[in-house]
Amino acid sequence: MKRITIDPITRLEGHGRIEIFLDDEGNVANSYLQVPEFRGFEKFCEGRPVEELPRITPRICGVCPSAHHMASTKAVDAVFHADPPPAAKKLRELYYSAHMCHSHIAHFYALAAPDFVLGPDADPAQRNILGVIAKVGIGIGGEVIKHRAYAQDIQAVIGGKATHSVCGLPGGMSRPITEEERKDFEEKAKSMVEFAKFSLKLFDDIVLANKDYMNLITGDIYTMKSYYMGMVDAKNKVNFYDGNIRVVDPEGKEIAKFKPADYLDYIGEHTEPWSYLKFPFLKRVGWKGFTEGKESGVYRVAPLARLNAADGMATPLAQEAYEKMYQTLGGKPVHATLAFHWARLVELVYAAERLLELSQDKEVTDPNIRTIPTATPDEGVGVVEAPRGTLYHHYKTDDKGVVEKVNLIVATVQNNPAMNMSIKKAAQKLITKGKAATEGLLNMVEMAFRAYDPCLACATHSLPGQMPLEVIIRDPQGNILERLSRKL
Amino acid sequence: MKTLVLGLGNPILSDDSVGLRIAEELKTLYNEQEVTVMATDIAGLGLLDFMLGYDKVIIIDSIQTKKGRVGQVYRLDAQDFATTRHAASPHDVNLATALELGKRLGLAIPQEIVIFAIEAQDVTTFSESLTPEVEQAIPKAVQIVARELDGRGVKGKNDKQI
Repeated sequence: MKRITIDPITRLEGHGRIEIFLDDEGNVANSYLQVPEFRGFEKFCEGRPVEELPRITPRICGVCPSAHHMASTKAVDAVFHADPPPAAKKLRELYYSAHMCHSHIAHFYALAAPDFVLGPDADPAQRNILGVIAKVGIGIGGEVIKHRAYAQDIQAVIGGKATHSVCGLPGGMSRPITEEERKDFEEKAKSMVEFAKFSLKLFDDIVLANKDYMNLITGDIYTMKSYYMGMVDAKNKVNFYDGNIRVVDPEGKEIAKFKPADYLDYIGEHTEPWSYLKFPFLKRVGWKGFTEGKESGVYRVAPLARLNAADGMATPLAQEAYEKMYQTLGGKPVHATLAFHWARLVELVYAAERLLELSQDKEVTDPNIRTIPTATPDEGVGVVEAPRGTLYHHYKTDDKGVVEKVNLIVATVQNNPAMNMSIKKAAQKLITKGKAATEGLLNMVEMAFRAYDPCLACATHSLPGQMPLEVIIRDPQGNILERLSRKL
Repeated sequence: MKTLVLGLGNPILSDDSVGLRIAEELKTLYNEQEVTVMATDIAGLGLLDFMLGYDKVIIIDSIQTKKGRVGQVYRLDAQDFATTRHAASPHDVNLATALELGKRLGLAIPQEIVIFAIEAQDVTTFSESLTPEVEQAIPKAVQIVARELDGRGVKGKNDKQI
């Protein structure tokens, strides 16, 4: 079988490219997901004062800037060896809980819901948020926009800007919130909890009650036995803002729990000649190729992984939802890739409850929100759970705090091995003996893709403002048999 | 009639910032009372928050097409992106979907939406500068937008010839 190495020029044709190679019988031998890597970020950061990075790094992503802002701010804390006062941490977590709410709401209704509300076989012209609203009612659309806006408002007030936040400083936050603001957040948070409950119920009514969807979720194509990674608090409950990082094996057993600063002892990066993107793996297990199971170092991050890696949720309604999910899907850990969507809703409930908890905490209006750094800056790691997975920011500076080196492990890159494997499974099922079920293939492949909610090539604003996806099927000699792409 | 000029882009991804740069230029040429000029790096549903309440919005952004010449300026409307609506983004809804959503929900979406798009060379290298041909396209693009505004009776500061 011919091996094809990717020429840098070819990736300009599309942002997401899947290459599928058939064997002599016409069955899928291999498939490769290629997402272009943005070039020169480290170079771009070198020579800048490290406290600027929380304002620069959010521009990596147009949809989760707050995650980068928080991870970066924590890394800068670490570089300066500054520990923020308790009120600052609570304020940051309040802000960050709002971000998780906004992100999960947008993802579920705009991306996940269409697959489930309308079905994977639905006409692509309908399979979007507009189709969802047409089917479940305009009222819901209004509620989605309203609660997204609530979450955005909270982020804007604390963050200091409606677009990219500027509140994170070394050792704390830029300003405290007033009692009036706190009260406003509390009201918004109460509404958010109700909306989160409603969203979970919607999933219940539309997905869980539908046998075909349940078969799709638990079926072979979308099942993958991997390790799982997520941030947990001292009681091993999911926490998005702070804690240690826990890893469990495909049977759910803890194999590691480490401090953010030690991440390099646990995470290795494998490279392949056909991809600009690296393939993170667990050093303890080793890179054994694109395989599943306990012997392979492939691990996953993001909602399902976080729930698998934790022992529960820290708030009551979320805990209830967590228990129901595992009960329905046959216990922990759950390997069904489509369950990422369900886990995302459980997390939405937690984020909303946590938002309410923190907005009702009197300490959150405390004006003492900054510890001025005094130590000489050198090196630090900041980690948060971004909506799409564990996010690592690692900075090294000179003794004046000027950046010398930056290492980022973004959420999606950690799901890169698993994404490739999920796509291959879908392809193998749908392409046999040289025959490709074209429409179905693109849909099924997209569904695998969407469950992971990849976040890399999407930082560009260039119109039409979406990530074009192209699937290329080749024979053993590498000749193109078929080229499927989303219409632009 | 309330008009909004909205420049879109990512300020650190080379040509992706051209929309922001053009908005910056336009801001110096118009009074706040005549037209509001804003720039943002937000995408998707968040764009609705900017546009509500205006009668007309002119959006300025970068674009990459199969056969375009770098620096070329296109005048488009929401209909031109109608065929992109059906393809769900793996990350957020695109502009066309956000607009349609706003319309269906009965939000105060502008009646008139015009999009000026500039063909970009590079939107994947981290840099705060534009590539030369895109940089050179800015004065022309500013003129084109000004003509559009002029055609709707919106004059520049001191009624200057732009």
